[in-house]
Amino acid sequence: MTHTFPRPGERHLSVERRSVAGACPECGAEQLAEYRVLGDGGWFDVRKCQACLASVSREPAPPFGSYLPLGLRIAREQRT
Amino acid sequence: MLGVDVGGTFTDVVSVRDGRIEVTKVASDPADPAAPVLAGARRLGLDGATVFNHASTMGLNAVITRTLPKVAFLTTEGHRDILDRGRIWRPPARQSDTSWRRSFGDVARPLVPRYLRRGISERLLADGSLRLPLDEEQARGQLGVLKRCEVEGVAVCLLNAYVDPVHELQLRELVQETLGGDVAVSISSETSPLAKEYARASTTVVDVFMKLIFTGYAHALDEGLREAGFAGELNFADCAATLLPWDEALEKPFRIVFAGPAAGTRSGAHLGEALGDRNLVCCDVGGTSTDVSLVVDGAPFVDNTFELEHDLVINALSTEISSVGAGGGSIVSISHSGDVVVGPGSAGSDPGPACYGRGGARPTVTDAALLMGILDPDAFAGGALRLDELRAHEAFESLDTPLAFEERVGFAFRIAAANIAEEVTNVILRRGGDPRDFTLLAYGAAGPMLLPAALDLLHVRRVVVPPHPGNFSALGLLSSDLVYYDSRSAYVPLFPESAPRIEAVFEEMERGLSRRAGREGEVRRSFDGRLFGQSWETPFVQVPDGPIDVAVLVERFHETYERRYGNRFPYIPVQGVSYRVELRVPSEKIGFAPCEPGGVAAPPRTIELRHFGAEPIEAAEYERSALPAGARVAGPAVIREGLATTLVAPGQTAEVGSLGELVIEAAA
Amino acid sequence: MIRDLSPAEFDQRYGCDRFTATVLTNRFGYVVEHMCARLLTSAFSPILRDFYDFAATITGPPAVGWPTPAMSASIVLFTGTMADSVRNSVEEYGVDRLGPGDVIVANDPYRNGTHVNDLLFVRPVFHEGELAGFVNMKAHQLDMGGVVPAGFSIAKKNVYENGLVLSPRALYRGGEPVPDTWSLIFDNVRFGEILAPDMLSIVAELELGERLLAETIERYGAAAVHGAMAYACDAAAERMTAALEAVPDGTWVGEDLIDCDAAGDDEEYRVRVTVTKRGGRAEVDFSGTSRQARTCINATPLDAKTTVGIAFKYLFDPEGWFTSGAMRAVDLVIPEGTVVSALPPDGAVFAYWEQSQVMLSAVLRALAQGVGEAAIAGDRGSADIHSATGVRPDGSPWISAAQVGGEIGAYGGNRHGDADTQMLSYQANGIGVAVESVESEVPVVVLRHEPLPDTAGAGYNRGGASMLRDTLWLAPAQHHLMSLRYKRAPGFGVHGGGDGATGGIWITEDGDETHVAGMDEGVYRYPYRRPFWETGPGAMLRYVTAAGGGWGDPFEREPERVLRDVRDGYVTVAGAARDYGVVVTGDPEQDPEGIAVDREATERLRSAR
Repeated sequence: MTHTFPRPGERHLSVERRSVAGACPECGAEQLAEYRVLGDGGWFDVRKCQACLASVSREPAPPFGSYLPLGLRIAREQRT
Repeated sequence: MLGVDVGGTFTDVVSVRDGRIEVTKVASDPADPAAPVLAGARRLGLDGATVFNHASTMGLNAVITRTLPKVAFLTTEGHRDILDRGRIWRPPARQSDTSWRRSFGDVARPLVPRYLRRGISERLLADGSLRLPLDEEQARGQLGVLKRCEVEGVAVCLLNAYVDPVHELQLRELVQETLGGDVAVSISSETSPLAKEYARASTTVVDVFMKLIFTGYAHALDEGLREAGFAGELNFADCAATLLPWDEALEKPFRIVFAGPAAGTRSGAHLGEALGDRNLVCCDVGGTSTDVSLVVDGAPFVDNTFELEHDLVINALSTEISSVGAGGGSIVSISHSGDVVVGPGSAGSDPGPACYGRGGARPTVTDAALLMGILDPDAFAGGALRLDELRAHEAFESLDTPLAFEERVGFAFRIAAANIAEEVTNVILRRGGDPRDFTLLAYGAAGPMLLPAALDLLHVRRVVVPPHPGNFSALGLLSSDLVYYDSRSAYVPLFPESAPRIEAVFEEMERGLSRRAGREGEVRRSFDGRLFGQSWETPFVQVPDGPIDVAVLVERFHETYERRYGNRFPYIPVQGVSYRVELRVPSEKIGFAPCEPGGVAAPPRTIELRHFGAEPIEAAEYERSALPAGARVAGPAVIREGLATTLVAPGQTAEVGSLGELVIEAAA
Repeated sequence: MIRDLSPAEFDQRYGCDRFTATVLTNRFGYVVEHMCARLLTSAFSPILRDFYDFAATITGPPAVGWPTPAMSASIVLFTGTMADSVRNSVEEYGVDRLGPGDVIVANDPYRNGTHVNDLLFVRPVFHEGELAGFVNMKAHQLDMGGVVPAGFSIAKKNVYENGLVLSPRALYRGGEPVPDTWSLIFDNVRFGEILAPDMLSIVAELELGERLLAETIERYGAAAVHGAMAYACDAAAERMTAALEAVPDGTWVGEDLIDCDAAGDDEEYRVRVTVTKRGGRAEVDFSGTSRQARTCINATPLDAKTTVGIAFKYLFDPEGWFTSGAMRAVDLVIPEGTVVSALPPDGAVFAYWEQSQVMLSAVLRALAQGVGEAAIAGDRGSADIHSATGVRPDGSPWISAAQVGGEIGAYGGNRHGDADTQMLSYQANGIGVAVESVESEVPVVVLRHEPLPDTAGAGYNRGGASMLRDTLWLAPAQHHLMSLRYKRAPGFGVHGGGDGATGGIWITEDGDETHVAGMDEGVYRYPYRRPFWETGPGAMLRYVTAAGGGWGDPFEREPERVLRDVRDGYVTVAGAARDYGVVVTGDPEQDPEGIAVDREATERLRSAR
């Protein structure tokens, strides 16, 4: 059960946007992608149009993004 | 006795003779400011008058409009930019406003441009020891530059000169030698020998300006008054509206830079004393803004500094006054989201509200009050101006909003009242008070009309409209004592062994004061101290009479700290920073005439008030002078007098008190 | 658009009429201001009173989606963190566990943003037994444990050195203090007797805020109050969207850097942002940003949210209280493990504000390419905090913290005019300390503190100048530095304006000058080659801050304004010709009113460019 986040090996880091099929309901462009954002209301896993930035879907992501405190994880896993 | 308040547009003169109050208004004349004052005084008569008390906005106006003589600033070499720096901070509410600049900074409108701020080679340290003697040769070189620039005055503030004036005295001699005896000079060690260089420097600069502005004026005024037969005392009010004999005021004229609104608070304290009401929040609602100040425990809440503009601080004792951009002339507009917004813009007195008919096209709070029926178009400002309802109507019609007409008007009036209510609450909380312990005093032309409408938002005990609400501020000039005062700094830890040093500081100041006053008076000592580790001082810790007992000073400090800030830190040592002595000489003051009690009020006229709700409502209209003490008026009602109209909202009652004051409360 | 709603539609959407919504929006702002006004008078600590290192907010209940309709005008660095951290803290603690009179505290930067010294206090407000909202404060505490007293160091390597981390927990339950929490804090922090009254004051301000909000709900009803919260956020969102729509679409990249961390000068830390704007929406992607640093100069995603929010507010909606709605139009995309999204235990976060400075530079550089005249030039880019400690001859210790280093510096120019030279930085505000006050407490003499000519970024509107401060140390001293941006000018110019000068630190002792920090003929002088700098009596320390950038073409600047700068010593005669193409004659030092613009020569110089 690791709880440390090692320092990344790469000097510079990037977010990968996964292209997905489909057209934007707002502008019609077939440029949808999925990735995680921080916005009003916290972190979301979104599917967004890369042409007009309209969100096709916004699913709430974990509250601290990629960080999960070990204590919370233990508490969750040990809960009966 | 007479009081005169010289404003930018008008000069108000008030005379009280055998309890009778007379008022006159003359147009101010910036070119010859003494002339209208004398004209007004002659009109009301000077015979037998014992005092002539003077307040003005002349000093402040000259500074904020930068209508200033050419003055130089001399300081320790390497430090001439203290005047550009101020205390650094931006107004918190303007932090995301990229148009904000320090108003007195070098890229905006400095009081003294950088090239007239010159460094002098010299240095004293904080303990008074000499680091570098004053280099006279170098100083003469700098003064040569100022001579070429033909400056009219010189302000001198050297670092640590509050500890030892030796270099400032030396420099003043050099200034007079090089620039001649006519040039006005102030040195910080005399003008305001308090620690912290920025406020001392700006105080000294403002002092030189005020010498150049007030000296000739005060002499002309004194001479003119004597010629007109005045045989009493001419006094100037300072920023806390205490009075100084005019020649004493001219010794350190930075103290009289501004004295208008403080007089209102002084008046409030004086009335409060007569009414037995010791905690007041004073609201002077004028055309462009509302001045909010406090009377706490019977005395105006005074600060040890005064800000002429944001962070343009001088070491003048001043009544703390917060200004809200909401008054009768505040402009009503519609926000991006469709909100009705009142202020901060104002139509001022020219062109004024749309209903003045002087070309103002944008709706204002006064226009709303007129359309609501609160103001009488034929009896505004004592009938001096007829208000035009049609123009007020057009102005509100012109707003770009889907809101119905009656909503625009009603919202505007109530939002103006709500804005003032929020600021009143903030002023009280900032001073550690609870609104429920305060009486709100409503004056100024628009105060009695707007403030009762805010009563339900305010949570104050009650609203009181004083007698003469339109002239209430000016009456404060006839409600004060004469006070001679002095102050200086010395960082002294309050340990028992410090007593002789503190005693010496007080005694030296007291000797100087009795020499200047040349008469007996009540002497009061106080000091500003701080807890070790703090960067700010807690002002006005009262020092008891008799030999200095440091333990008592420490206890008094903790008491004052707790009263002012709500906490007590008895285990943290205290440091004395500034010491102050005042010599108070009682002066003649106005008395409030008791109002005759009487029976039922005269049968009122009935008028129609609009836009309070969907339907017009009927309201009783009273003449204030016809209301005897003890009379009760149930809202909705309006009570009219020469310069003001009081609104008693539906659900409120007004009762006439023993001195003619109107006490407004929410009906139980 | 909200302004086009009919009265019925408005009521339907916001549970009250327009007038009530306006009054309540104002009320929310005043409730947070009232809380701050009281804390400002009652706080013991200068960091709260002089530097406003605190903020107050109101939050709506979970049932209406946690809106934050008002945030106090105090420290802007907390702006973007509050809405998320209140929601996250309450959810982690458990909404169901809350009752009247509770206070929840939390301080974990990876959950809440900023640093461990900033303690978040949350108080639920109940109405008729229902959770009706929260009043909150976050305030800097003098100490939170860790290896450095007060925490001010950029050398701490991990969370263990950094200080006590508090996950959300109750400080009060039902109005009663919870001893476990108080003990956890006071068993681990220094200066407890100073922290305690500050914390008690904060709790008192929460009670005031609760009372004011409860009275408001009592009077207007919960539906109207919650509706008005939504209204305030919607109105802010609409203003932002409308402002964005007015800017042409585009994609712009901006980047800036921090020189090093305290573990070595072998790695620079870059923040890169790609700002994409389409219609009324925007996205700020931090891809390309450096991995987290090895010492505590990192920040967290909520700090990134703050900075993006501030940049957008500066440019697009400068008036009014900040609300959570302001960020509705803007998404941030942030890779994990970067300097702006560091992770425990080694991605230590303390000097987050230095990273906020770099983020702001990067975002403003990117936006400058899209907003035309509205572009804002860079400020001096760092807080440049210096501290020194020592022992007096009588054995008593002294400390000088953030008093006489590079704390005071320039802003950048913008369309509204030249920039002030003596400020803190874009994201900081506070009361500067008086020289006489410092000299009475610390064995130091401030020899000079003034702008350096020809350093300000030239422009039609110029930036503020570099500030030089020389201090003479009368007693032996240890100097601790927090200067991270001397390699590249942080005061970038915009809209054709020039960059400001870079800064540096020097120590002169017994006639020998050491270049402690900054660029020295192309070579970077790394200030953390020593853990601290020791000096003996009589040493002189020199700080030169970076200058602000200019706005607009300096050759378009009116010659009269250049002349005024020459007269006032901000620009030399040579600088006027070189940087502004203005030829000034005469001797500005000896005969300042005798100098003049040589019009013909100026014309020639300007047209020859």
